[in-house]
Amino acid sequence: MAIPESSKPALAVGCRWKEDAEEPILLFPEGAMKVQGTGLAILELCDGQHTFPEMVAELQRQYFGADPKRILDDATRFLEQLHEKRIVDF
Amino acid sequence: MLANPLALIAEITHRCPLHCVYCSNPLELAAASSELKTDDWRRVFAEAAQLGVLHLHLTGGEPLARADLEELIATAHSARLYTNLITSGLGLSRERLKKLVDTGLDHIQLSFQGFQSDRADWIAGTKSHAHKIELASWVLEHRIAFTANLVVHRQNLDHLDEMIAFLEKLKPNRIEIAHTQYYGWALENRAALMPTAAQLENAVRVVAEAETRLKGTIRIDSVVPDYYAQFPKACMGGWGRRLILINPAGEALPCHAAGVIPGMVFDNVREHSLKSIWQESSAFQRFRGEDWMQEPCRTCERRTEDFGGCRCQAFLLTGDAAATDPVCSLAPTRAVVVQALRQSPTDVISPSILAENWKYRPNPSRA
Repeated sequence: MAIPESSKPALAVGCRWKEDAEEPILLFPEGAMKVQGTGLAILELCDGQHTFPEMVAELQRQYFGADPKRILDDATRFLEQLHEKRIVDF
Repeated sequence: MLANPLALIAEITHRCPLHCVYCSNPLELAAASSELKTDDWRRVFAEAAQLGVLHLHLTGGEPLARADLEELIATAHSARLYTNLITSGLGLSRERLKKLVDTGLDHIQLSFQGFQSDRADWIAGTKSHAHKIELASWVLEHRIAFTANLVVHRQNLDHLDEMIAFLEKLKPNRIEIAHTQYYGWALENRAALMPTAAQLENAVRVVAEAETRLKGTIRIDSVVPDYYAQFPKACMGGWGRRLILINPAGEALPCHAAGVIPGMVFDNVREHSLKSIWQESSAFQRFRGEDWMQEPCRTCERRTEDFGGCRCQAFLLTGDAAATDPVCSLAPTRAVVVQALRQSPTDVISPSILAENWKYRPNPSRA
């Protein structure tokens, strides 16, 4: 499923960060996920404020030098997977 | 090195207004008078969080039967545990639900027995279906995760597509289709509950279709019926590897049904810290790792995936808790499962006849 350009991805209901964790852990029903690197960068932008194109632009700025097309593809795939698991809404 | 437990299953009471014929509680229910006090649970939750536990599952019995549920959730929340309430919803008012959410509940898992009140109530042994529907609409008023759980078996599987359609309308984030697992009261009623091969085949198709239709809207998770499987389930994610269950009386078990295994001694959280129980108690060590395994598990390449299956099921069906789970196609004792399937009736019986033939789970004694 394509990510609509106007949507503002956000953590789904019942998904939240563990507040006191040493390294970032995302908690959701029946599961948890340690997040680092680009995955963390993407999820930190899932705040309901950024549209998907804004998120990608920000990631391309953060990872300046990396192939912009690849950043777009990786972010799309990652968010689609999390959307299917009902961890991210868009 | 021993990893930390990830989840704590707290059976805070065995009292329950429902009498479900598939209940996985032990046949010997904990008496109300033996239940841990609020302060005991508070200490246990704090210790669990320190030990690295992420998820707390409050279950029972019916956890709502405890008047201190709000306090327990508040404690869990301040210990930063992700808190899940597994409930029939019976007796939960709109006001109390709001209180539970306000004190920090993250996830509510509401059980359903069917899609029509008469049959659902007949399985639950009490009138509850209509209230659950109303409660589901109240859950949507809050920002918490909502799972609709449906336990399936021969007496309701013919209506799986209608049941999923019914649950969809309640707008949960997640639907859990749980095939009955045969422990406790479910094992007592196995002959009436075991699905037929044809029902199972149909169920797999119906669930796959629903997954495709609801992708991105409702997540569907299924618990498979292991009697029909080729390989056993990784019960509890492996004995003493991820989960601790505390029963209402405070005993720490590696698995819901572990009490059926002869010779088990369960340390009580009244006398031992959760850390010492996890690291040192004989119950948690008994089937941890691989040293206890027999052939074919001992040399099987799947032993790191399914850990030999379920120890309780191995004991219940073969009399040897260290045997390969007999549901495994490689198990030397597989014949007992084949025989159970062959001997199971295939009929869907009218409620009036069946009610006389199956055992409803009773309530525990007060004393």
